[in-house]
Amino acid sequence: MNSMLSVENLESGYGPMQVLWKPSLEVKKGSITSLLGPNGVGKSTLLLTVLGSVEPWGGKIMYEDEEVTYLPTHKKVDLGLTLAPEGKHLFGGMNVHENLIMGAYRKEAGQNINDSLELVYSLFPILKERDRQGAGTLSGGQQQMLTIARALMTKPKLMMLDEPSQGLAPILVGEVFETIEKLQAEVGLTILLVEQNVEASLNAADYVYIMHEGQIKAEGTADEIKGSSDIREVYLGI
Amino acid sequence: MKNTISKYYPLIPVFAAYLIMFIIGFFMPGMWQMVALLAFYCALGQSWNIFMGMTGYVDFGYVTFIALGTYGMSLGISYFSQFEWLGIGILVIGLILALFLASLSALLEAFIALRLRGAYFAIACIGINEGLRYFIEGAKIWGGSEGMIFFGALMQAFGKETVNQLTTFWADFSVFIIAALAAFLNMHYMRSKIGYALTAVREDEDAAKVMGINTTKYKTIAFLTSGLLGAGVGAMAWGLKLGHVYPGDVFVIHYTVECIVVVLLGGAGTLLGPVIGGLIYGLSKYWLAVIMPGFQLLIFAPIIIIIIVAAPEGVVGLLKRRLKGTQLEMFIE
Repeated sequence: MNSMLSVENLESGYGPMQVLWKPSLEVKKGSITSLLGPNGVGKSTLLLTVLGSVEPWGGKIMYEDEEVTYLPTHKKVDLGLTLAPEGKHLFGGMNVHENLIMGAYRKEAGQNINDSLELVYSLFPILKERDRQGAGTLSGGQQQMLTIARALMTKPKLMMLDEPSQGLAPILVGEVFETIEKLQAEVGLTILLVEQNVEASLNAADYVYIMHEGQIKAEGTADEIKGSSDIREVYLGI
Repeated sequence: MKNTISKYYPLIPVFAAYLIMFIIGFFMPGMWQMVALLAFYCALGQSWNIFMGMTGYVDFGYVTFIALGTYGMSLGISYFSQFEWLGIGILVIGLILALFLASLSALLEAFIALRLRGAYFAIACIGINEGLRYFIEGAKIWGGSEGMIFFGALMQAFGKETVNQLTTFWADFSVFIIAALAAFLNMHYMRSKIGYALTAVREDEDAAKVMGINTTKYKTIAFLTSGLLGAGVGAMAWGLKLGHVYPGDVFVIHYTVECIVVVLLGGAGTLLGPVIGGLIYGLSKYWLAVIMPGFQLLIFAPIIIIIIVAAPEGVVGLLKRRLKGTQLEMFIE
């Protein structure tokens, strides 16, 4: 498998505060790569910096063997990168269908809009049922589904998911992870997943990075991480 | 084809309102001045609403564009009226200068202020407005705080008869044209990819970015459009009509507040809203000034509060709800 996304010595932050202290990671094509770590270590910032929402200060971001470090966000989305943001950033005043249509804003996605809609509705039948319902009135789980579905409408190759199981009932967490595995297996997406739900992420992921204080502290296949008690103790506290 | 045209149906009531206003003003003696005032508020509301209504960004410094438009026209007349062979071309040059100054400041403001959101954006715009005013006064450019008086130049270039017509009819008439143009552009944006992008920005700018929307580009387009229309109003309704310009008269935040009042009264982000808001505000201001001079603001403050609490979507919001499901629905936007 070759590399889809590679991040080298990335630095960024907010105002004078540096958050990322040169983490490096690689996401292989077709894999689910998981980024774990406690609160406030810079996981979300890393995703936002990769997408360009937060401007990188230094380092290098390679996407499909092209350097994209300082490309503006919309150009990165054009290349097939997307993010299902944390906290369900939906368009609350629009209904489910309109939210999905907005996902297909860029030209290429717009041309395939019917195929994308069909795919999304087959993956998330509940969204088809709630087609005309206001996005703001969906339940938490459904909103999370819609966030992922809308990201899917941009026709991405690499989808980054920021805490998709946040605030969901345990039974829904399982559903979300099933969806993520489906995206990999059936849709053929490459996935970079940021999570706090360690157990579920370890089960879903092919490769795992552990982040601490803005740096990558450990990496390995899911099995290696599971087997290494040190890493579990020090960084996950379990 | 029918589909494309029917998309523009909501323009019908707007244009009808402007036409009726024009007819009343033109044929009923003594009404022109009031109708011109109404057109002024409608045009400003409509222009301001293009940016605010679609993006949700409140531009408190909007009067900058009106002021620069006034200055553009004033410069055009002051410096080019000596070339009498230019004829009406003098005013064209004035308008071009107005649009040029406004685009320059719009792009600069877009570069600085559109990176900010919410209250920070509003404050930055006020800052730019005040800065420009004191810069003109302090650096003594364009006559500094003494401004420019060019009524005489206008007289010399065109003669008394023509100037009279220009200032009492054509200046106001062009405000009508700008108001109609603003309505058309607003509608066109609403029904195009630009409108979808800006609606996404208004709902959730971060999510819009993730969708691959070049948010800066679309915000700048709307900002520029809104600013240029404002400059047009300034050039005609203040520059050409009054024949003079003072920085202390034109860079006044009060006029931005009037834009906000007009738009909120009618309904922010709607097409018909600024027209209804402009009519209500303009008429009440006109009559209140007659009945109780000086008390307009005292009366308007509570009215605005009541509107914001009772009908946050303005008059058009109420109207829309009332007409939902009826044949008339497609004419109201």
